[in-house]
Amino acid sequence: MISARNISLSIHGRKLLNKVSLDVQPGMFTAIAGPNGAGKTSLLKILSKETTQHTGEVLVNDMPVSKYSVADLSTIRAVLPQASRVQFPFSVRQIVKMGRQHHKSLKKHNDTIVGEVSELTGISGWMDRNYLSLSGGEQQRVQLARVLSQVWEEKDFPRYVLLDEPTSSLDIAQQQLIFSLVKHACARNIGVLAIVHDLNQTVQFADKLYFLKSGSVVAHGDSKSVFTKNIIEETFCCRVNVYHDPCTDCPYIVPDRVGVAGVV
Amino acid sequence: MPATAIDVKQHRTGIILSTFGVVLFVVFLFSLSIGQVSIPVEEIFFITLKKIGLYRSYQPDAVHEVVLWTIRLPRVLMTILIGAALAISGAALQGMFRNPLVEPGLIGVSSGAALAVVVLIVFGGVLSLTRESMSMSMLMPLFAFAGGFLATLLVMKIGNQVGRTNIAVLILGGVAINALAGALMGLVIFFADENQLRMFTFWTLGDLGGATWSKLLIATPLLILSSVWLLTFQLPLNAIAIGEAEAFHMGVDVERVKKSIVFFSALAVGVSVSLAGTIGFVGLVVPHLIRVMFQADNRLVLPASLLGGPVLLLLADIIARSVVAPSELPIGVVTALVGAPFFILLLNRAKQKNELSTQ
Repeated sequence: MISARNISLSIHGRKLLNKVSLDVQPGMFTAIAGPNGAGKTSLLKILSKETTQHTGEVLVNDMPVSKYSVADLSTIRAVLPQASRVQFPFSVRQIVKMGRQHHKSLKKHNDTIVGEVSELTGISGWMDRNYLSLSGGEQQRVQLARVLSQVWEEKDFPRYVLLDEPTSSLDIAQQQLIFSLVKHACARNIGVLAIVHDLNQTVQFADKLYFLKSGSVVAHGDSKSVFTKNIIEETFCCRVNVYHDPCTDCPYIVPDRVGVAGVV
Repeated sequence: MPATAIDVKQHRTGIILSTFGVVLFVVFLFSLSIGQVSIPVEEIFFITLKKIGLYRSYQPDAVHEVVLWTIRLPRVLMTILIGAALAISGAALQGMFRNPLVEPGLIGVSSGAALAVVVLIVFGGVLSLTRESMSMSMLMPLFAFAGGFLATLLVMKIGNQVGRTNIAVLILGGVAINALAGALMGLVIFFADENQLRMFTFWTLGDLGGATWSKLLIATPLLILSSVWLLTFQLPLNAIAIGEAEAFHMGVDVERVKKSIVFFSALAVGVSVSLAGTIGFVGLVVPHLIRVMFQADNRLVLPASLLGGPVLLLLADIIARSVVAPSELPIGVVTALVGAPFFILLLNRAKQKNELSTQ
């Protein structure tokens, strides 16, 4: 389990996170939602050891994240940042394979993993394409494949994938594909944490849901149980109506055009 | 243009590198053979065999033997070492800064090294560091390295923005440091006597002709160490091409990699500068050519630069000493004449592809 306890972070005197506690359980899909600037990305960076100026404790598989070497940590967790800008013309295959290059396993074994992950993300048709020639959505799927390949291999300890808006430049079909892929990863004893924006889609797939606002957790729990009108309105300061969709047996929201709560 | 092509070809790294190796060997022999006195290739072999004690009975032309052994061979070997050092430093720095337009000169290595050497030439006597010419040839690489390293550190410090490198600021910082180093050099030269001035002028011309075995003795281990060390960063640099944060997540100790690359490229370029003055554009052009011709994978770019740099510099040296023979052009003039138009071409392409963003 990745377990964050009382995480606070201030940068240039501005409080970005205030005593946030959060758990990412193996085999589960945990989602974080919240308005822009709520501190979601900062939290993700602390969990991945990219940022270390925080107070509070992060445990990864029961050991403080600060005790891990960079290399050891990379076999346990993989991270998909919001946007990756590649500067040189690498092929799709080269990019995905980079997820494996720091693992000391056989080339053949690595190739099998790369093949499997590429098949799942639907990119196996363009492994020789120049990454820079792909569309934004295609590039995102390639990056996701790279991230998954890093921790895909079955191990005797749980692994984690931290995703910062993994579906931000994808169409709805691709978004569904990525979310079901994430569930697929959970079945391999991988814990997934994703920052999300589309609440309706999230509630269909996520097991746990955290609502974050101004650096604090507003509510968290089983995703369907915290998906309520009150919590969502409080988090986003926007009037919404919650309905139930009988086909997916999931709740969904429709923002109210009357306007932003507080303004009206 | 491969950079925008749909497919990236899979290249056989081994075949490309062997080809580079063969080309380098041919150019090496050619470079030994031609000049004011031309020496046939078979004679080069025989003299070499004699020198290493395998063909003692061979009686070569005495002039040929002297020219080959005391003038041409040290010069050609030094050219190879410098070409390799400049090209691999360029390749590693471009990879590290995630920017194909970086070259050692832009980030202050060369001018920092040059300033340190000028200070040594002019004030070395005052500080009683240089009693004999031997200690001068030993101190010059050290001073050049220290100067290059400090200047690069300063430029990196300027370009650092909350723990990340801001490329636009970094390049501008490089411009500032280069200007400062140039001004300080002018100031130092003000205090130089006639003898020191002559020494300095010869040195700034970018001269490969001053190669001697004693200079090589000190420089060779330093250049080989730094060049080979830079060669080990192939995989970390590939990961950094995706992004520094991404490389960190994939298990690369990015800060350590950056520090090592700055240190060893400052060593490589600094020592090169101390031997032959500032030679521009080799570090920029060679890695870029390899990326355009083949692929961006650093498992090819780094070793191919190590072999391609010497080829380019040897060819430039052949031009430099043959077009105005019996006199010769400074090597820096030749590389800049070829390199500057190429650099402008690169800038134009980068503009079209929007590569010159601020990050």
